[in-house]
Amino acid sequence: MKAKSESPTIKELKFVITRIKKSPLSIAGIAIIGFFVAIALLAPILARVPEGQDNPYRLPRSGWFSEPQPPSPEHLFGTAQWQYDIYYGCIWGTRTAFRIGIIVVAGNLIIGLLVGTLGGYYGGIIDELLMRGTDIVWAFPGLLLAMAFVTVMGPSLDSIVLALILVGWPSYARVIRSEIFRVKQEDYVEAAKAVGCSDFRVITKHILINAIYPIVIMASLDTGAIVLSAAALSFLGLGPPPGYADWGQMISLSRGFIYKNAQDPLGYWFTWTYPGVFIFTFVLGWNLLGDAFRDILDPTLRRR
Amino acid sequence: MEKTIESGDLLDVKDLYVNFYTYAGVVEAIDGVSLLLKQGETLGLVGETGCGKSVTSLSIIVLVPPPGTIEKGDILLNAGDKAINLLKQNDRTLMNIRGKDISMVFQDPRGALNPVYTVTQQVGEALLLHRREEMCKRVLQNLERDIPEANTLKRFIYNCEKKIYEKMMNKPKSPSLRTLSKIPIINRYQGRLRNEIRKEVVELLRIMKIADPERVVDMYPHELSGGMAQRVVIAMALSCNPRLLLADEPTTNLDVTIQAQILLLIRELKEKMKSSILYVTHDLGVVAEICDRVAVMYAGNVVEVADTFTIFKKPSHPYTQDLLAAIPRPGKEFKSIRGEVPALISPPKGCRYHPRCSKAMPTCALVKPQVAEIEKGHLVMCHLYKR
Amino acid sequence: MGMRAYIIRRLLLLIPTIIGVTLLIFSVVQVLSPEQRAALYITSEQQADDIEAIIEKYHLRDPVYIQYFVWITQVLQGNLGYNVKSPSGRVLQNIINRAPATIELTIIAAPVIILSGIALGVTSAVHRDKLIDHVTRVTSIIGWSFPSFWLGILLLAIFYAALGWVGPGRLNPDASVFIITPPFTRYTKLNTIDGLLNGQLWITVDALKHLILPVASLTVQSIALIVRVMRSSMLEALTKGYIVSARAKGLGQKEVINKHARRNALIPVVTLAGMLSAGLLTGVVITETIFSIPGLGSYAAHMALPPPDIAGVLGFTLFTGVLFVIVNLIVDVAYAYIDPRIRLG
Repeated sequence: MKAKSESPTIKELKFVITRIKKSPLSIAGIAIIGFFVAIALLAPILARVPEGQDNPYRLPRSGWFSEPQPPSPEHLFGTAQWQYDIYYGCIWGTRTAFRIGIIVVAGNLIIGLLVGTLGGYYGGIIDELLMRGTDIVWAFPGLLLAMAFVTVMGPSLDSIVLALILVGWPSYARVIRSEIFRVKQEDYVEAAKAVGCSDFRVITKHILINAIYPIVIMASLDTGAIVLSAAALSFLGLGPPPGYADWGQMISLSRGFIYKNAQDPLGYWFTWTYPGVFIFTFVLGWNLLGDAFRDILDPTLRRR
Repeated sequence: MEKTIESGDLLDVKDLYVNFYTYAGVVEAIDGVSLLLKQGETLGLVGETGCGKSVTSLSIIVLVPPPGTIEKGDILLNAGDKAINLLKQNDRTLMNIRGKDISMVFQDPRGALNPVYTVTQQVGEALLLHRREEMCKRVLQNLERDIPEANTLKRFIYNCEKKIYEKMMNKPKSPSLRTLSKIPIINRYQGRLRNEIRKEVVELLRIMKIADPERVVDMYPHELSGGMAQRVVIAMALSCNPRLLLADEPTTNLDVTIQAQILLLIRELKEKMKSSILYVTHDLGVVAEICDRVAVMYAGNVVEVADTFTIFKKPSHPYTQDLLAAIPRPGKEFKSIRGEVPALISPPKGCRYHPRCSKAMPTCALVKPQVAEIEKGHLVMCHLYKR
Repeated sequence: MGMRAYIIRRLLLLIPTIIGVTLLIFSVVQVLSPEQRAALYITSEQQADDIEAIIEKYHLRDPVYIQYFVWITQVLQGNLGYNVKSPSGRVLQNIINRAPATIELTIIAAPVIILSGIALGVTSAVHRDKLIDHVTRVTSIIGWSFPSFWLGILLLAIFYAALGWVGPGRLNPDASVFIITPPFTRYTKLNTIDGLLNGQLWITVDALKHLILPVASLTVQSIALIVRVMRSSMLEALTKGYIVSARAKGLGQKEVINKHARRNALIPVVTLAGMLSAGLLTGVVITETIFSIPGLGSYAAHMALPPPDIAGVLGFTLFTGVLFVIVNLIVDVAYAYIDPRIRLG
């Protein structure tokens, strides 16, 4: 006689947790992202916004010197060129990074879902047209097209976000479309249609639910890449102006300060080390997380 | 102590034990299997899925995939004047034996073929490995024929090629040959060898009754039908005249009509080539068609061995009896064997069939039965029969 | 279907794609005002003074389809506009002038990426779960997460600032002077090759020395990507039936890996090649900027820096767009060559 079995959802959850516990890299990824989430949430406490400043993303300046000052009690990470506080920039930069990542991925998902679902479900001419559109955007290396967009729109954080969305949706559209193709053939979709479900219901209830896994994996793996691209664009000067809490921008400020002088060649190390470590660890965390999601959620790879 | 083998026997598998060390535990896949294969006979290895028949045939050529390990046993191959224990040979010797003395045909024909190489390239690979000297000799014969009639320039080229091919025959792995083969224009000498191989492959395909072999040799696996692909795989296996052919369910994945054709083909080849065949299958009908003797396997043990006629007329092991009784026949009540095939991670103690056996006795659950020879050539592993 | 038919088909597809590319650039340009757009048509400093005449001449206030036509005819004649920022001059000319530095960088980077990525991926898969595998996987995840601009800065900090081994730029100061004084002839403008052609080996050596750091910062991310994909596709290839079949023929493990598994495992990697060339094209923008290499990448970065030089940025984008489409064509053909199953589709 079998013992009373647990509900399938609980079993799934337990299985996922065991898999996570077995992979040190997944744990690392989750820990890193958790760490950054904490920083982002606690930013006002960790780095007080100066009195009277309504935009928290403006880095506080303590003077007008152009030369960066090394770390000190008032400036934990030192100051960048023109005395911007690096510590403040790194902390609030976390929020900027999350904002960029979330908005761009959301934008990509929305457009990608629309294009991919329409093309995938209805096929035919609609699909052909939409795919040609995808191909044209894809004909460019992403970052370079984004550069062109930002140049035309005028450099700012919003331009970067918009440009990255415009450049990124094709990959999502393609993945969603191929998933829909795959799921469309399954028998339960036929069954739903035979019972009389409307197209909308079939799409949302049956197809998308099953196509969700690859999309989640893709989005999490992509977030790291998006933050890197945004940082690269900021670094080239196409993002927010100097003095904004953005990691790429801060590294751009440090470009002239790689070499100090013969006695102390790496004297300005703090200008490029701290923001760089933040970017690197943030992206690393997302990549590990994305990998973890893929290992756990991809049904074909499990239970080896 | 040197193990020996009778001159009339080709392969003697003694007490083979194979374990798989998996995630979930140790799977005792092969639990002391012994088989004797005579020269020129076709032995059928029958059993349900998961009973270990494929693992047994893979063990014979020592290609059990990890996490499988051959724990102990001897596999003796008759090498003329002495016996070679395949489980104790080094890789080099085994590589020589595989494809030449023993070759294998697999269940999924298109899976067994590499999708990015043509038929010629794949069948030719076996020829290059084991019949290289013969092919080179043919090229040299052609050269001998061409040289007298050629003009001076061509004569010079042909003589160079002659030297190269002579070297290929004697020292194929020499570094100078290896470098020569990498230089673009010069390595066109390989064209002659390729031509010979191609001709041989066309011949092989013709023997396999493939229509229009000249066209098929240049095709890729995905362009072949299931039946054709399987013929190609068989051609590949027989290309070097092996003494033993291991056929692992070669017709299971094919349509019934194609199956019949392939079986017919195998029967004809049997006559022509005088090789022994170990035919692994779960289909008793096939066994009746082409096997001289049959070994029945269950859960990693060989439970009964006899010639085909005896197995069908006088099955002695309860499993064999149940198996035959379970064959659906019109007018007869449908009888299946109760219970399930055991998971070999924790196999039943004693006789592995006892939980499903209608004739089980108390000893069956405690002690593993010994093999008894109840008449000449008829072996049974069951407590019902004493030595 | 043979290779020939496949190539012809792809070539035919090329035309609408390139047209699409131009359409996209064109629509981006339309966002700007006619005055700004005039920059795409002028050919000299003087013309910049009389914007209205330019607007008249090139119909910049006329309906969109007329403008597109005018623009395309100009582009096909080689008129991509004029750079107001330094280096000033005609855009097409500037692009041609800056190309050699980028070509030199990419010609060395590409094989480094491909060969080391494949080799590491294969090794990692073949020695699965052993130390070398773990080390490779960890380093490749780290490499994939590293911002290339930060890597460039770090490399400069270590090897230039701290150790003083080699500085930014393509050559040492004295070498730079040497190559522009006769009798040194710059045949190809690729310093490595020119050094050899002129018999001045030290120029070649110096050029190579200066290429080490930029190539390193350019290739890390791409190598990491190839290693990951190669490893997983190799692992998958090793589970396939033809592997056992090949060994049953008598092939040794090493031969089977090299001859059978690797060729199949390469297939997914070839599809990556498109992505990789995109990565290279993008990477040069950042790498050349950091290492002060006067190539196309730094040209683009400079032109895009506010206030932007529209002609420069768009000329560059159009150029890379077309280049990328051609590269993708080559990749597709290579893919069909390696995997015969594709030719049927």
